[in-house]
Amino acid sequence: MTTLSPAVTTPPGPIPAKAGIGLRFQHHQAVLDAAPDVAWMEVHTENYMGGGTPLAYLDSIRRDFPISLHGVGLSLGSAEGLDAAHIERIRKVAERIEPGLMSEHIAWSVVDGTYLADLLPLPMTEEALAVVCRHVDQVQSALRRRILVENPSTYLRFAHSTIPEWEFMAAVAQRTGCGILCDVNNIFVSAHNHGFDAAAYLAALPVAAVGEVHLAGHSVRALADGSTVRIDDHASRVIAEVWALYRIALAQFGAVPTLIEWDNDIPPLDVLVGEAAHAGTLMAEAAARAAAAAPPAATEREAAHAHAA
Amino acid sequence: MPTLLEVQRAMRASLVDRDDAAAAAMLPEGVGADRLNIYRNTVLIGLTKALSLCFPAVRRLVGADFFEGAAGLFIPQRPPRAAWLDRYGADFPDFLQHFAPAATLSYLPDVARLEWAVNLALHAGDAAPLDLARLAALAPEHQASVSFVPHPCLSVLRLDHPADDIWRAVLDGDDAALAAVNADAGPVHLLIERGAAGVEVLRLAEPAWCFARDLVAGRTIEAACAAAAGVDVQALLAEHLAAGRFIDFHVAKAAPGAAA
Repeated sequence: MTTLSPAVTTPPGPIPAKAGIGLRFQHHQAVLDAAPDVAWMEVHTENYMGGGTPLAYLDSIRRDFPISLHGVGLSLGSAEGLDAAHIERIRKVAERIEPGLMSEHIAWSVVDGTYLADLLPLPMTEEALAVVCRHVDQVQSALRRRILVENPSTYLRFAHSTIPEWEFMAAVAQRTGCGILCDVNNIFVSAHNHGFDAAAYLAALPVAAVGEVHLAGHSVRALADGSTVRIDDHASRVIAEVWALYRIALAQFGAVPTLIEWDNDIPPLDVLVGEAAHAGTLMAEAAARAAAAAPPAATEREAAHAHAA
Repeated sequence: MPTLLEVQRAMRASLVDRDDAAAAAMLPEGVGADRLNIYRNTVLIGLTKALSLCFPAVRRLVGADFFEGAAGLFIPQRPPRAAWLDRYGADFPDFLQHFAPAATLSYLPDVARLEWAVNLALHAGDAAPLDLARLAALAPEHQASVSFVPHPCLSVLRLDHPADDIWRAVLDGDDAALAAVNADAGPVHLLIERGAAGVEVLRLAEPAWCFARDLVAGRTIEAACAAAAGVDVQALLAEHLAAGRFIDFHVAKAAPGAAA
């Protein structure tokens, strides 16, 4: 059994354009023992805001794996403003872990000083867009770095929404300079739940802003009116349709850091590693297809140069 | 068109207070309120899970169904104030104290109080223990005026019931030990801290506990010693320092010029 080591000084690398896994407490020891074949890991920032064992594990794991900090509690869409104490807690975790990426959600969780412990849907309005942009600016200033914001999975939309979600995402990136964490499973889930075209959503995202992709499993629930709703429960393998959508995303974005998330009914570590390996395979295939479709730019330039000479 | 704040207050009323009227009116025609239910369930399940993680012995003592029922009543009354669920549940022991269906389990709120203290110790920040050389370097006349800053994981607790024995027996699944506990055996005096092997709950004799409580509360060594009766304060202080229970100290103003 590998033991925990004290705080380390080796700076972790940036997040590579390869497949990683979401790290949960259940796998802390297994990761130290097995050194799984994945390129990076992502944790929920809120799980490391105290000290003790969790932080000691993360200190050790970050020696071997670049770490991304993924927040779930900042509530970027809160009408009333951000919780300064929460920003400070995030800043402290970041100072300790030196993450390669930091991200949050296009959602809200806090109103009237109550934390609702879920990523709740925003009305897609100019007001909400302005609020989110103001808060992304605030967070990027406080952390002195760019963050990524993740597109939500939603089960309802508001009648007064005026902006398509993909335009909302693009506008946040364009106005604040933040990146986009494109959750392909969330797009699939929301496309089903609201009847839009998932591929068109992907096509509408600004390629240069996409800095990370998430993949996860979801479930299907029947409602009383006979319709079905897809629930983003992160409790199973990525389904074939979402892998297919991921192929489309890769063709569009090129290779980007891709994460397998699994938060409920968490399987043994090797299942997660296997899912990540599949994402890596699809990434390699997409790169090969891209290379075959277009001759390398350098060769073209050389040819042009030779011609000119 | 409702403002963002109106939307969020309507959602809060739906998810926390089970009043769907305002939120349902904001949904497109034909979209049922059962979609609000998906969110309500997620919130309830997530917060119940947070309480379960914090109060595992309480949950085992009352059973999962009873616990979830109690949590379902507690959560709307006292939803979390911050997005840091490791710190959610401070009010749950007092809720149980006044929760009529649990009234026959007189010791239950004390077990919950102990579990809350354990939870705080588990998630407290890291801090280096006090460098004893700094203390030794103080002029002797200032030493009595020293007051300590306790490690963030450290707390002291006096409980009317032997909640520590109950807590241990329950988490160990030791039915014989649980049956042997006399729940009315009188108060216990506990010190809770986080060691290398996890959170430890130590039972102290009352005078030693009072001395520890005074030091943790920031009273000076002199004041804590004066209040202590029938204990070897030097030995106790040495033990606290050796265990790394303090991370810093101040010297009271009565001793001007001393370094703090």
